[in-house]
Amino acid sequence: MRKRSFVVGSASLVALMALAACGGGSSAGTPASGTGSAAAPANQTLVVDTTFNLKTVDPGRMFETTGLLIDRALYSTLLTFTGGDVKKPVPDLAESYTASPDGTTYTFKLRSDAVFSDGTPVTSADVVFSLNRVKAIAGNPSFLMAGITVTAPDASTVVLTSEKPNPSIPFIVPNPALGILNSTAVKASGGTDAEGADKNDKAETALNTASQGSGPYTLSSFSTTTQVVLEANAKYWGTKPAYSKVVLRNVAANVQKLNVTKGESQIALDLSPTQAEGMKDVQVVNGASPNVFFLFTNNDPKISATTANKDFQEAVRYGIDYDGLVALAGTGSTQAAGVIPTMFLGSLPAGSGVKRDVARAKAALARSGISNPTVDIGYPSDFASNGIAFGDLAARVQANLKEVGITVNLKGSSVQTALAEYRDGKEQMGLWFWGPDYPDPGDYLVFLPDQLVGKRAGYVKGANPALEALGEKAATTVDDAERVKLYEQIQTELNTSSPFMPLLQPAQIVVAGQSVKNVQSNAVWLATLSELG
Amino acid sequence: MSSADSALPVPVGRPRTRASRRDLWRFLAKRLVAGAFLCVGITLVSFVLTQLVPGDPAAANLGNRAVEDPAAVAAFRAQYGLDKPLPVQYAVYLGKLVRGDLGESQQSHRTVKADLAEYIPATFELALFAIVLSLLVGVTLGVVAAVFRDRWPDQVLRVVSLAGVSMPTFWIALLAFFVFFYKLGWLPGGGRLGPALTPPPRTTGMFTVDAALAGQWGVLGSALEHLVLPGLVLATYTVGMLLRFTRASMLEILGNDYVRAARAKGLPERVVVVRHVLRPALISIITVAGLAFGSLLSGTVLVETIYSWPGLGQYAYTSAKNLDLPAIMGVSVVVAAVYIAINLLVDLLYGVIDPRIRLS
Repeated sequence: MRKRSFVVGSASLVALMALAACGGGSSAGTPASGTGSAAAPANQTLVVDTTFNLKTVDPGRMFETTGLLIDRALYSTLLTFTGGDVKKPVPDLAESYTASPDGTTYTFKLRSDAVFSDGTPVTSADVVFSLNRVKAIAGNPSFLMAGITVTAPDASTVVLTSEKPNPSIPFIVPNPALGILNSTAVKASGGTDAEGADKNDKAETALNTASQGSGPYTLSSFSTTTQVVLEANAKYWGTKPAYSKVVLRNVAANVQKLNVTKGESQIALDLSPTQAEGMKDVQVVNGASPNVFFLFTNNDPKISATTANKDFQEAVRYGIDYDGLVALAGTGSTQAAGVIPTMFLGSLPAGSGVKRDVARAKAALARSGISNPTVDIGYPSDFASNGIAFGDLAARVQANLKEVGITVNLKGSSVQTALAEYRDGKEQMGLWFWGPDYPDPGDYLVFLPDQLVGKRAGYVKGANPALEALGEKAATTVDDAERVKLYEQIQTELNTSSPFMPLLQPAQIVVAGQSVKNVQSNAVWLATLSELG
Repeated sequence: MSSADSALPVPVGRPRTRASRRDLWRFLAKRLVAGAFLCVGITLVSFVLTQLVPGDPAAANLGNRAVEDPAAVAAFRAQYGLDKPLPVQYAVYLGKLVRGDLGESQQSHRTVKADLAEYIPATFELALFAIVLSLLVGVTLGVVAAVFRDRWPDQVLRVVSLAGVSMPTFWIALLAFFVFFYKLGWLPGGGRLGPALTPPPRTTGMFTVDAALAGQWGVLGSALEHLVLPGLVLATYTVGMLLRFTRASMLEILGNDYVRAARAKGLPERVVVVRHVLRPALISIITVAGLAFGSLLSGTVLVETIYSWPGLGQYAYTSAKNLDLPAIMGVSVVVAAVYIAINLLVDLLYGVIDPRIRLS
């Protein structure tokens, strides 16, 4: 009897496996699937593979890459960016806006036909609630609203007032973290914009279950590790998206490549230039990433008298083989001429970055009076961005500087450990990247003395008074032409005398099946799902 | 059962008495109490080890800007109780644990209990598939290898088992993915269901079971289809291991006098092998299978990553990477509980297989 059960069990299992294996390949047969070259019909499912960096889709708490991609589809903002152009904010919920001459007051006129996914109209009260909530929650995106107050003189007007002139505001408000929520629904779920919202706001779970926005999609299901499903918003007031359903799946980059080639997915967002090379029957959009990889030598003599030495810094600056690093980063990567990436206002012209000059580097090292210098370089050894492993870059820097006469000890550690050292300003040399919080040069003032990144490199107040004054002026200048000049001056000075060495700007690859139209890479949220056709 | 068979000295269990049942319950109670203490010990070890890791949970979980904002850092610390002294943090955790509250994950912003309820069934489904397959194939092949000792089937199977236990699982996972999904297109690449399908109504969290219960046959087919490849990959190692253990145990028993006696009495070889050799060999096979099942349940990170399988392994890895203390502690408790439960089950099975082991 027992033997018979064993045999029957075995046979059943084999039959089950055979059934599954011959089951018609249901995943490969989903409406949106097919080969990479097959046409994906409109109003069908779009499958997007990406490596999740996702904690929440509550705009008040979200500031991760995948969250930005999703919330851009769920929530409309006052202004937005279309396609890959992040230099020009365009109307979204606000049909127009005006700025006061001193750059402190921005008045937005809301369009009258915008409605939330439940059909209720979007009003200025919703905007005030949403923006104030972001500020009051004191979460990751709260800094976007620092020093800004929001008022609503009437139902269709919103005024953002800044303590100081703030020309970045039109570039800040498109951020999906500042997506406009249906205030009535969110309050009913325990949301609040009042002081103390950091403890009292209880709407996150509800917002991770059902979105409360006026964007082209609504949230159907949410998981931070598996997949997120979006459904087209039937009440969307703008141009309806082509795909009725979007499935975003958490998939490792190497598997993304196979999936998109096979037609199992239509979009792969995390392939490196090397991985994308030679792919056939797919579209490869090689956009520039806004991430800028940089090296710094700590300017604080207490951390290292060697790295704080100006001549040593010059030796490092001219000892690095920038072209070699760009080649390592793959096709589409470019040398970072300055800290501001090419697609933003105020970036330095391509090709104007520092060029390697080993003789000059050796001369500077000799001037420094430091013989046979040995320094440690910190970097996240278990982390890669845009397909570039920090360990590879660090090893290349080590080899470059060896030729100059500088010994670099590689001190890679896990990203959390390395991050703690970096943020505490304890690294002698550091290898990191800066990704923009919003696409405006104002976000790059962090590299100046006594600013966020500056302090991490021991670049403290008084280190370069002229540069600090330039920074203060740039932060409050409203005229774009004047801003461009100021930011160019700032970067030129950083390239001359600061402890920072901008290295490269990698490629940002989006691979899509041939059926997908209008594929563009976006520097803030990777790709605009609702624009894909 | 033939008369010749019944004459053999196969141990027969005594009828269950009230006293023996009481002993069994006492044994179970002791083991459960010890298990509970062990779980608490595990939480202490996890807590201490996590504190020793250089790195700050606030820095790990807050963004570049927020980490520089004292208000944001203070809000984060207050939310997760990190503003209290370490002994207080641990005491608070234990207090909550007793009430079944595992805290809130700093990564997913959900309760750890909700996270685990989502990920454990996914891993359980995969591990169960792999272990059942491994037992069926591994034990059968092990018996064949033992019976045909030193002949060609044995030699072939020894090579197969060696390959199974020697090849790194992540490599097999990648290879299988490439061949069966990418090249041949026989099986789907990753995930638990086809992207166009909606998961079945949740009863157990195991898609195959839930889909069957709901009568959603299309979903069941897709769930099975997605289970096959990662399940086979995981089974490769355990098949090899069980094959080797079964063979070794069987060979050891095959040399016993009572086996020779059984053959001398004219029992069919099938009966000798299955009833008088395999049954006693099951003791060591079950021990190994139990450990293998525990290992499959407690973390198959690489396979889960390659096949985008949202299980406990991926959750544990992400939590550890982000210093998500409540999640790390939750996973530790679950893994400890899994091993305790499996060991207990194995101990009970010993008694079922060999009545001599039962408590008097």
